[in-house]
Amino acid sequence: MNRTGSILVGLALSLASGIAMADVVVVVSARSPITALSKNQLIDIFLGKVSRYPDGTEAMPVDQVEGSGPRDEFYAKTADKSAAQIKAYWSKIIFTGRGQPPPTVSNSVEMKKWIQKNPAAIGYIDRALVDDTVRVLY
Amino acid sequence: MNNAHSLRTAIALIAVMTAWCRFDSAAADADSAKSMFSFNAFGTLGVVHSSEDNADFTSSTFKPNGAGFSHEWSADVDSRVGGQVTANITPRLSAVLQLIAEQNYANSYRPEVEWANIKYEFTPDVSVRVGRIELPLFLVSDSRKVGYANPWVRPPGEVYDVVPITNNDGIDISYRVHMGGLSSTLGAAYGRTYRLDFPAGSIADIQDLHGLFSRTEYGAALFNLSYVAAHISLRPVSALLEDFREFGPAGEAIADRYELEQKLATIVSAGASYDPGKWFATAEWTEFDGHSYLGVDTGWYVSGGYRIAKFTPYLTYSALTVASTSAAGLNAAALPAGEAGTAYALNVGLNELLATRPIQRTVSAGTRWDFAKSFDFKLQFDHTRLGHGSAGTLINVQPGYQSGGTVNLCSAAIDFVF
Repeated sequence: MNRTGSILVGLALSLASGIAMADVVVVVSARSPITALSKNQLIDIFLGKVSRYPDGTEAMPVDQVEGSGPRDEFYAKTADKSAAQIKAYWSKIIFTGRGQPPPTVSNSVEMKKWIQKNPAAIGYIDRALVDDTVRVLY
Repeated sequence: MNNAHSLRTAIALIAVMTAWCRFDSAAADADSAKSMFSFNAFGTLGVVHSSEDNADFTSSTFKPNGAGFSHEWSADVDSRVGGQVTANITPRLSAVLQLIAEQNYANSYRPEVEWANIKYEFTPDVSVRVGRIELPLFLVSDSRKVGYANPWVRPPGEVYDVVPITNNDGIDISYRVHMGGLSSTLGAAYGRTYRLDFPAGSIADIQDLHGLFSRTEYGAALFNLSYVAAHISLRPVSALLEDFREFGPAGEAIADRYELEQKLATIVSAGASYDPGKWFATAEWTEFDGHSYLGVDTGWYVSGGYRIAKFTPYLTYSALTVASTSAAGLNAAALPAGEAGTAYALNVGLNELLATRPIQRTVSAGTRWDFAKSFDFKLQFDHTRLGHGSAGTLINVQPGYQSGGTVNLCSAAIDFVF
């Protein structure tokens, strides 16, 4: 009984930590002047509806590749949209030549490198990778 | 056979472009230099069954046949493939070329140029395009042929069939303004369409098209307002209406009133949609005045859906009405006996012509299933009630057709994008 209980607690803890590990945060370079964005401003930037930050400087959104966990979690959390909904959204934009989705990187490590190099960039990485080279917005 | 051959050619063409696209997107990640060209493809493979055996249901007035009379199950109603090349020549100058292969007026799948234009951005919010450009009349005009981008098997015909043309050859300018969280795009277009072929051999010509468009987004809400005016001519002119001209000024007046020759047509449309993620609701209304026998068509629909994991079931109600469906015609009683009979026959003919205008309402229920990355499967049932004496949007109406009844459709489709 006691043993079963501790297994259950252990299982629950590992599940919880699994979720925490997959937690993604929205980041910009520590050198970026951007310190805060509203959720709508963030989504408008990633969906290509605006090309600049509220202060007027150019925004360079970067996505992780399709099918990656952080990408799906980012859009589910910020826009409440599934991978298929985001794909359908970009289909509308692409097939009139009105725009192209943000460029992609293969994972959070690559995205962090990209953001460190580009003060205009904005992206999302695993919370575990956060250090003083990036600023967490969400 | 010829059809199947052209479809195969088109599919092969798209497959090659798709292969390019995949190759290209692998190279176009953020770390490498941004590629100048991007390739994308889309398509739908769909089948439709209609309960009406004496007429055809189809998705566009440009199509010569469909489901019902011509085919028990028709793959021509919704199937198509499209491929697109976008060239980002400089950060401000870009070009787009899109080809679509779908059943056309001649019952062939010969690819047609849907868009071919060059865009110059003066600023990120001000741009001008020249060439063949989309005509953004409705909420999903720009993506009406991209099944994957839409919740339904096809956009509701009661609105989208009112104006089946999707592009315009000319110029448009677009200006985007931001106010707080609100983003509004205002556009103006000018142009013409040289030749539009219809299945029965008639050809339309659209001149002096002027359009004003506005599209406003606020968070998950989208509003669309548009106005288009153009001069439309349809050839050959109606022999019936020409016969009215034999009857002096009264007959001339009737022919001028109803003929589709250099007629100013106006289209007004308004739409709104709200899509916060878990569900969506959308409604559109449009009015077309052809100043001719086409009358004043008013179409509208409301639609909504709810997302449950990979499924998005939806419901739509749509209606299409025509303001004037009868005419007094010539005063046959006041004419000499010899001419009265002809005048009477012409009046009957005129009223039959007016009565061919579509009046119908449809309830649609269906679901989208995002079963694989870049693919969806849709199943949709439509129940259409036709107006008294009208065949609605049905074509190839046979002698055995009973007007004013109902038609049930069952449609299944797979959409993809690459």
